[in-house]
Amino acid sequence: MDAETMKLLAAGISMGLGAIGPGIGIGILGMGAMNALGRNPEARGPIMTNMILAIAMAEAVAIYALVIAVVLIFVA
Amino acid sequence: MAEQKPESKRKGCLGCSFPVLITLTVLALALFIVGFLAGPLGQSFFKGINMPEWLKVPTPSVELPAEVLFHLGPLPVTNTILTSWITIVVLAIILIFLSSRSKLVPGRFQGLIESALEWVYNLCKDVAGEKAGPRLFPVIVTIFLFVLFNAWMGLVPGFGSILAHTEEGSVPLLRGANTDINTPLAIALISFVFVTYLGLASGGFGFLKQFFNFGRFFRGWGKLFTGKVKGAFGDIGYGFIDSFVGILELVSYIFRIFSFTFRLFGNMTGGEILVLMFLFLFPFVIVLPIYGLELLVGAVQALIFSGLTLVFATIASTPHEEEHH
Repeated sequence: MDAETMKLLAAGISMGLGAIGPGIGIGILGMGAMNALGRNPEARGPIMTNMILAIAMAEAVAIYALVIAVVLIFVA
Repeated sequence: MAEQKPESKRKGCLGCSFPVLITLTVLALALFIVGFLAGPLGQSFFKGINMPEWLKVPTPSVELPAEVLFHLGPLPVTNTILTSWITIVVLAIILIFLSSRSKLVPGRFQGLIESALEWVYNLCKDVAGEKAGPRLFPVIVTIFLFVLFNAWMGLVPGFGSILAHTEEGSVPLLRGANTDINTPLAIALISFVFVTYLGLASGGFGFLKQFFNFGRFFRGWGKLFTGKVKGAFGDIGYGFIDSFVGILELVSYIFRIFSFTFRLFGNMTGGEILVLMFLFLFPFVIVLPIYGLELLVGAVQALIFSGLTLVFATIASTPHEEEHH
């Protein structure tokens, strides 16, 4: 395999594996938010705000993998 | 929502009448089909249909480093620097205009900006408390507005399509400022210096003690030499763990700069590449949901950046209690 093929393969693998963890994490966050909302529908404001904050933190890890993949394709 | 509309036209959905709705649907369908045929998918499925050259979308070329437009003396000015200047000018014009013509009963525009600012102010007071919230508010809202306007200005038509001719060829004249890694790095460094200054100002050198926690370790050695051997080994052991954890905390503290940078940079660049790829694969219509996602992501990332700076500043300025074993 030459270097070009390996770079593309590496980009695909890095993004694919890097999205497993954050995907599961965001799902768990959503479940927690739904449970909390079901128990206490009046606290919708704070629950939604904190859920969005936590989801963006979990998504940042997937974004690190995306940056590696983009650098592999376009720069290296 | 108005009950007094005359019943001359039959009501469709969304408040438009049926003829308007049908025209819009036909227009959207036509754009959809033309886009499909002009893009690379349609060209490979239906090879016989020839689209005019101005409809075909060129293969996108994504450049991660920002392209240099001109030089101001020894410093290169890239298209992202130009865009961040435009953002600063737009923000300054809006806010100065509002504050000079503010009425007691606000109009719609003033009410919009005031509600956004008041939302950030309430967030500051919620997280940092009643006294410290207003003190932190200027930096937090500056970071929020700067990142937000940078992200949203990158979606205005003309960004990425207006070309400038420099010595390297045709480069886009305007490019979203957050897609260059230098802008998120600069804001992250500002936030880091802000949090460190607050920690040092309110805690003194006690702030550094959470990172360089060698006290117990050296006390253990001291106990060994003054005779209390049994307590000495416990203190040396725990002191070793304390100092190791302190170094780990220092590494994680400095890593925050990079995590801020890459979170903002990755979100913005990933969004830009996504929009480019969708425009290439399926021109005109399918990119609209991605565009909406970009609006949402811009707002959320601005909130994350300023909110996390607020949380770290609050943690840094809250005095830590001493642990007594």
